[in-house]
Amino acid sequence: MSAPSSAAAIKIRVEGVAKRFDQSGQPVEALANVELAVREGEFVSIVGPSGCGKSTLLYMLGGFLAPSAGRLLVDGAPITGPGVDRGVVFQEYALFPWLTVFDNIAYGLREAGMGAREVTATAERYIALIGLSGFERRFPRELSGGMKQRVALARTFAYEPSILLLDEPFGALDAQTREIMQDELLRLWRTTGKTVLMVTHDVSEAVYLSNRVCVMSQRPGCMVEEFAIDLDHSVEREQVVLSPAYTAIRNAVWIAVRQQVVVARRGAA
Amino acid sequence: MSAPAQTTPAQTLALPIWALHSLSRLTPFVLFLAAWQGLAKSGLIDPTFLPSVSAVGHALIDLGASPSFYTDLAVTLGRSLGGLALGAAIGIPLGAGMAVSRKIDGFFGPLVKATYSLPKTALIPLLLLWLGIGSATNIVAVMFSTLLPFVVYTYHGIHGVPQLLTWSARAMGTPQRRLLWKILLPASLHAILTGLRLALGFSFVIAIAAEMIAANTGIGKLMFIYGESGAYDYMFAAVAAVVALAYVADRLTVVISNRLLRWDDVENRLG
Repeated sequence: MSAPSSAAAIKIRVEGVAKRFDQSGQPVEALANVELAVREGEFVSIVGPSGCGKSTLLYMLGGFLAPSAGRLLVDGAPITGPGVDRGVVFQEYALFPWLTVFDNIAYGLREAGMGAREVTATAERYIALIGLSGFERRFPRELSGGMKQRVALARTFAYEPSILLLDEPFGALDAQTREIMQDELLRLWRTTGKTVLMVTHDVSEAVYLSNRVCVMSQRPGCMVEEFAIDLDHSVEREQVVLSPAYTAIRNAVWIAVRQQVVVARRGAA
Repeated sequence: MSAPAQTTPAQTLALPIWALHSLSRLTPFVLFLAAWQGLAKSGLIDPTFLPSVSAVGHALIDLGASPSFYTDLAVTLGRSLGGLALGAAIGIPLGAGMAVSRKIDGFFGPLVKATYSLPKTALIPLLLLWLGIGSATNIVAVMFSTLLPFVVYTYHGIHGVPQLLTWSARAMGTPQRRLLWKILLPASLHAILTGLRLALGFSFVIAIAAEMIAANTGIGKLMFIYGESGAYDYMFAAVAAVVALAYVADRLTVVISNRLLRWDDVENRLG
């Protein structure tokens, strides 16, 4: 139901992308020939064994790293650097510790040149949305991991990028907080219709949230398998998670990832 | 250790805990002064070379009654802080420039390394030759001595800023050229303030050393005159006044720094 139609325009396109790093003189091939297309409004997750280069791919889409070969396109135009059309949420939140909750959320709005009154109104709206009213003047060090994560999501949502790039956004949270934050993200995604690309090592999370899950191989990473997902999110979380459809696809994805991990282990041994 | 007492010492003395804490902090100083007084009065050392605490105290009271003493203190303080401000004004931008630009680093890096171990007091005779006796020599000498702590701490502070912070600022629309001001400097504030505290200590040392050689005013000159004329109790009193002044300046720096760093982790506070 929430899946965008296959007629929707391609928002993100990755064509034959490779990435080599120079690690103390030794060339390391992180990614090889990665192909990916994400439609507008789609929620796509990338899962794969650790060290397969999935975060590297996200950083290239963020415009922080350049590919060694291939092309990365947004709306048909090559990525040349970071841009406010792509909001990035990092694994360790990357909040600015010297700014309060309010100023962290207002940061992107002020950089966009928004007027003071509008900044206050927008920031307050997002602070209320993430349930942190009353915490406006707190600094990040005074917040729990879950609160920091909510601020990180809110500050990215607030300046309304059309694409969200999420790098293990819930990796540092405890299981209960993670589930709450996942539903929060799902709600935000469904109300705003943004294109989301999430990197995670958590198969259940990927299957629960996404329209499509792409499995990456061990290093050098490339896409090896893809699963289309159509879960009915109009019902409660427990009904989704306990449904046979969810279980079947979760197991299929888990086995696909598991195969890559086993291959990686054998390669290392 | 002993059997449980009916009343704790605090209750007997009827003093609040914080007062006891500050008193216990004074203990080493009291012991030090007592040892000094004992040694001076014991006759083991010629009192000409080690005046007793009481003699120094009398000299200090005498000095405190003369307005020119405060003028000298103010002159020395002005030279220290003036040189410190100049050192910061040049050192922080230089350190920041070296941290963000390979070209600037390539030019100034070797200079910084070469002058790192140079005792800055060795420059005083040269400055005296060029700038003559007076405040200019003093202030420039202080500037040179405080430059390096600012350069080094700013440089390392900026190098330690996590890449994710600059990335996330770039993603939110901060252009490359504004990263220094928006992200790198605030994120390095702790390091820069640590450099400031170190530089403050240097600034007093060099200001007083320079005054002894190249000034007609200031507390350093006063010490020198008292030393030359053998008025050691007065010389000691002048030293004590400088120690007190430097201590107050340091504590003030710590209090202000911690106020500025209230967002930072508590373990990063200056002590």
